[in-house]
Amino acid sequence: MATSITVTIEDVETQDPEMTVKIVKFVGQLDESNVDEKAQIVYGLISQYPKNLNLILDFDGLEYMNSKSIGYLTDWYGKVFESNGKIIIAKIKPNILDILQVVGLTQLIKTFPTMEEAKFAVLNKTE
Amino acid sequence: MNNIATTLKNSAKEPVRIKIILPTTAYFMSGIRDFTLSLIHNMTDFSEQWAYRFQSVVDELCNNAIEHGSRPGEEIQITFINNTSDSLEIVVEDSGTGEHPMKAAELDKLIEEKSKSSELDMTSLRGRGLTKIVKEWTDELRFEDKVDGGLRVIVKKYLHDTKTQKLEKGLSLAGDQTHIVI
Repeated sequence: MATSITVTIEDVETQDPEMTVKIVKFVGQLDESNVDEKAQIVYGLISQYPKNLNLILDFDGLEYMNSKSIGYLTDWYGKVFESNGKIIIAKIKPNILDILQVVGLTQLIKTFPTMEEAKFAVLNKTE
Repeated sequence: MNNIATTLKNSAKEPVRIKIILPTTAYFMSGIRDFTLSLIHNMTDFSEQWAYRFQSVVDELCNNAIEHGSRPGEEIQITFINNTSDSLEIVVEDSGTGEHPMKAAELDKLIEEKSKSSELDMTSLRGRGLTKIVKEWTDELRFEDKVDGGLRVIVKKYLHDTKTQKLEKGLSLAGDQTHIVI
């Protein structure tokens, strides 16, 4: 009955050598039982790439996120933004979008229906 | 469960009460969220969108009770009260033995202060559960100090009210203006 979540990281090729783009894919549910541990994976990336890190969070397989995981999301965003990077979200499910909207986070972090659109936005710096 | 639930839903004139007692660990919360979703689907007339919202409300209330209200090894209690075709009430109780228990008056003050502030601090790690998710997605939110110690949080959502309609209209996912298409 423990909550299952897997977090995997994938590289995205870019023409700009100064720029790092990663897809962070979440499959399962982020809740009180696992979020403190899994959040460290993203903090690890932020430490590893202290400048120009762009993260596309693939939420296609994310079924649930609680308020603490939303807190981590805002913290990641702040740290990445300070170092000239971006965080955007792709393929979000309606119930997850709903919760991000109610806390006002969609004003801060852009969401894209498809991975192609998300990649285009990051690689062409339209976001 | 579906047949029993449908029978209960159709025949119930009196509110249906379901009580669950949990140890103070987040380990069981995915099961409680599944149960909440199933309960709303099978026993109420709330939409699927609201089923997911209640899932979050229950999760946030239980996490608060586990984190602040009851020390490890003790219990919290969740009660679902389904007034068919009228409302759903959820009551979460802790024992008041946790590391940072709060009194009802303190929580009332916290909610009042948060609702007065024009904007939520976007960068803060915590503070969205009770003051945003639970407050926004319920019609009534009350805190009571239990006679034997501990806190009782009572939330209620009416099936037919303007807030439900406004939220469903305003946050319609099909017409979501924040879901950017380039």
